[in-house]
Amino acid sequence: MSMDEDKDGLAAEYVLGTLDAEERAQADALILVDAAFAASVARWERRLGELNVLVAPVEPGAPLWDRIKAGLAGTPQSGEMHLPEVPAPPASAVRADAPGAEIIQMRQRMQRWRGFSTISGLMAACLVGIVLVREYKPDVLPPELRPQRPVQVVERIVEKPVEVVREVVREVPAPRPAQLVAVFQKDEQSPEFILTVDVEKRTLTVRTVAAQRQPDRDFQIWIQPRPDVPPESLGLVSTGEFTVRTTLAAYEPTVISGATYGISLEPVGGSPTGRPTAPAIHAKLVQATP
Amino acid sequence: MLTSAELVWLMAAVAKGDQAAFERLYAATRAKLYGVALRILRRSDLADEVIQEAYLKIWNNAGSFDPKLATPITWMVAIARNRALDLIRKKGEASIEDEPAAMEAAADEPDPLARREMNEELKRLLACLGQLEEDRRRMVLLAYYSGQSREQLAAQFDAPANTIKTWLRRSLMQVRECLGS
Repeated sequence: MSMDEDKDGLAAEYVLGTLDAEERAQADALILVDAAFAASVARWERRLGELNVLVAPVEPGAPLWDRIKAGLAGTPQSGEMHLPEVPAPPASAVRADAPGAEIIQMRQRMQRWRGFSTISGLMAACLVGIVLVREYKPDVLPPELRPQRPVQVVERIVEKPVEVVREVVREVPAPRPAQLVAVFQKDEQSPEFILTVDVEKRTLTVRTVAAQRQPDRDFQIWIQPRPDVPPESLGLVSTGEFTVRTTLAAYEPTVISGATYGISLEPVGGSPTGRPTAPAIHAKLVQATP
Repeated sequence: MLTSAELVWLMAAVAKGDQAAFERLYAATRAKLYGVALRILRRSDLADEVIQEAYLKIWNNAGSFDPKLATPITWMVAIARNRALDLIRKKGEASIEDEPAAMEAAADEPDPLARREMNEELKRLLACLGQLEEDRRRMVLLAYYSGQSREQLAAQFDAPANTIKTWLRRSLMQVRECLGS
């Protein structure tokens, strides 16, 4: 089955409704960043949507309209919520010398948008969408929102010992788009981490988004190649925004693309047992084309 | 139910912020959207929540509705269904157990009266679904109408969830080929 068929299958199952919560969140993110996938979903909605003709109508209770009407007050129409229409923040708010400022700025914007819509799922989709767009399609965003990755890399290099510097420089993601992506969400409010994998180079990059670091804890990355084997460590999430690891080198590409990934909160230095000691949030990789 | 053309006109007015048009749109479509959400959620409190959110999203996003890509009712039902599916997947299987599966038996043909409304597209879709093996067809319809997960289908059809996934995708690809569009 070709990758296109896989993707159309994902779109079909999204519309059919059989994806699990994580897969749905990832498909929602793909809809925002991948026009071909969004078109696939729209075609499936048209094909299968006819089935709704046969669903018996059921009258909701009268109070529902009052609740909806009350919700309209204070929600001036925002028109399209599509990303290209996101207004640029004031230039002063995002400075290249303030890593993380863009994310904070984005969160503040999300707070403001909350006033325009009470639909939390939509908000989450927008945030995932923006983050993914920043990763894969920086050129569709206003200049102020584009990633300033080279600047951040330089800053990290200054702090690291020489040996690590070499590794960081070597493994910094190439400017070409990543191929596989997994979004780690604790709830629908925002993604905690975004994992991208370069299957060819067998490298992984974890971007820390909303996850809050605790002083006496480390986040640890896990791979579970198959459901019937225990998870194996892929290393710790570093303190910077991006973590690059080459630990996938030990795995075959088919294992890498089919495995389940997890991130758990562990004691400093990682789990002493070699297995997760705390509940992990999980995600599967999906294809993200440029 | 208003005609599709009337709904398109109402949608355009809603996009401009016309609350009276929104109330008419709600009156014309609420029972269909509520019926779809209730089949998936099986609980009126959850359906209330989902339909409230869905109509707020419809109000907010009416400007992005494109009559060339979808009919208004398909677009609106998709919004309500997606909210319902998000909720049921996050709640997990437990909430389903609360309610007897009263509507399950009727999954194949939920509303015989609606046969009068059957259009050409639906007839073609049903003909294509009819070409699937009996259990595959039931699987697809149970998933679409009742929001059953792969795990629930796996239990019901006595097959591993991964096999269910393969069957569902193959069935849907077969339907796509059959429809030829």
